[in-house]
Amino acid sequence: MGGLKWVLAGALTLAAVPVNAGTANGVYTEAQAAEGAAVFAERCAMCHGKQAEGTWEVPALKGKFMANWGRESVAALSDYLGRAMPQFAPGTLEPKDNGRLVAYLLKINGHPAGAKPLPEDHAALAAIRIDPLAATTVK
Amino acid sequence: MSSQNWYPQAGRNAHYARRQMLRGGAALGALGALSACTGAGKVASAGPAPRRPYLTPMRVTPDQLIDMKCCIRPVRAAGPNLGTQMIGDTLVVHNYGHGGSGWSLSWGSAEVAVGKALSVLPSEIAVVGCGIIGLTTAVVAQRAGLKVTIYTRDVIQRTRSFRAHGSFTPDSRVALSAPAGAGFGDLWEQMTRLSWKGFRSMLGLPGDPVVFQDAFALSDAPPVKKHHDADPAIKGAWEPGGLPLQESEWAHYMDRIKDLVPDPVMLEAGENPFPVAYTRRSSEMHFNFPSYAHHLLTEFYQRGGLMVMRDFNDPSQYGQLKEKVVINATGYAARDLWRDKTVFPVRGQTGWLVPQHDASYSLRYKNASLMAKNDGIVVMNNPIDLGEMFGVGDSMELPDPAPILEVMKIVEPIMAGMKGIA
Repeated sequence: MGGLKWVLAGALTLAAVPVNAGTANGVYTEAQAAEGAAVFAERCAMCHGKQAEGTWEVPALKGKFMANWGRESVAALSDYLGRAMPQFAPGTLEPKDNGRLVAYLLKINGHPAGAKPLPEDHAALAAIRIDPLAATTVK
Repeated sequence: MSSQNWYPQAGRNAHYARRQMLRGGAALGALGALSACTGAGKVASAGPAPRRPYLTPMRVTPDQLIDMKCCIRPVRAAGPNLGTQMIGDTLVVHNYGHGGSGWSLSWGSAEVAVGKALSVLPSEIAVVGCGIIGLTTAVVAQRAGLKVTIYTRDVIQRTRSFRAHGSFTPDSRVALSAPAGAGFGDLWEQMTRLSWKGFRSMLGLPGDPVVFQDAFALSDAPPVKKHHDADPAIKGAWEPGGLPLQESEWAHYMDRIKDLVPDPVMLEAGENPFPVAYTRRSSEMHFNFPSYAHHLLTEFYQRGGLMVMRDFNDPSQYGQLKEKVVINATGYAARDLWRDKTVFPVRGQTGWLVPQHDASYSLRYKNASLMAKNDGIVVMNNPIDLGEMFGVGDSMELPDPAPILEVMKIVEPIMAGMKGIA
């Protein structure tokens, strides 16, 4: 993930958006995450587990997930899902489902929901950073 | 400390019924039909004709006893504490209170705790405690890329973990059903399945840190499935700060993993090497403490881990550590250190016979439990009538050889009467 191209793209986009455009600020809606849960159950749970708990071989989408994706942009995560997942049929997720899944993944990793849904525009997604959780919010 | 609960609860009777049916002359086709109905995890094939295995008798006379150990299982009614709390600006992730399942849940429980720690993206963390939970947690955190310092008053060899029984018993006194609630079963299964894979990854390493071997359950009468029905004469149940009042309160989850654990099989008369009417063979997995500790410590240091020897007497001291994320793996000590009165003690003790490497099997008969390990044959006296209530509320941690000598005496005639190859 990342690479110079993304860093540059992110930096250019960042100039145009508020500085605090991170996932700590509520960047998806509960409705979006609920839709994402349904997509997850159908397309992802068979490998990653019903609760995204993973196995010894398949990555959990909680816990270490944040170490892998923290400080990346939401666009990077969304692009990866669209490109590489599900592994047995990559590239088959509808773009709308991608967004829903990202919302669901943010929710189960402790990022708060907000009033506005995740944007569909790629540049806008690239401007949203996946924040580390505040220590006080870790459950 | 594990109990003698080596066998999955489910599948036992199904298997026994099948064997009985075979004895009664039922056709193999009928066996297949029955198997399909029972839904048991695995189906034993007819296999080769029965043949009595040659097993070396264990020497169980009192002079063979070379060590006694005693420890307290740190039980929490709701199951292990994997919660979080802030001490000043320090995030504390708890990982303690695993009852008789600490070894068995170590990898999965570490994964859960480390996952929580990772969510704030630290570069370094502290782990307090260096028993099996603390040390495994430290290694799991390192494998996730973190720099780890262990703060502890003892290294694993002198912790309670080293005074356990050390077999795979992931639901041994791990929780009480009611306070644990329905949700804990899912978490338990997640931790157990992950731990199983962790142990599988250690099979065959030098020193045999993890071993499978045959376990034999001997009885004079046909074995019956143990039930955990409530005794209506006992009024009330566990209350916060208290103890369970009867065995039916304990949670059991082994049914959830019967696909992992081989089914027990009743030995035919011709293949039974023991002088009892009924012998049931199963596979058990156990942990050899010295080599297991060596492997974990070696990996911890090779990955650049630091070990700082110190004690803590108040939670506020966690906030004074330079690491701002701390995983608390203090086992029974958490009861005092964190004033967690939901932790209650369940005492267990083991006797250790001199290592006898040509007798590599486990055996249960009446209250006696013997398991051959690299560092000796571990002997326990687990009163069948008391089951998981044995030792509840008892925090006397000095060993008492008398009950161990008592079961060694029970097993002596069994060993003397063992038969060779039929």
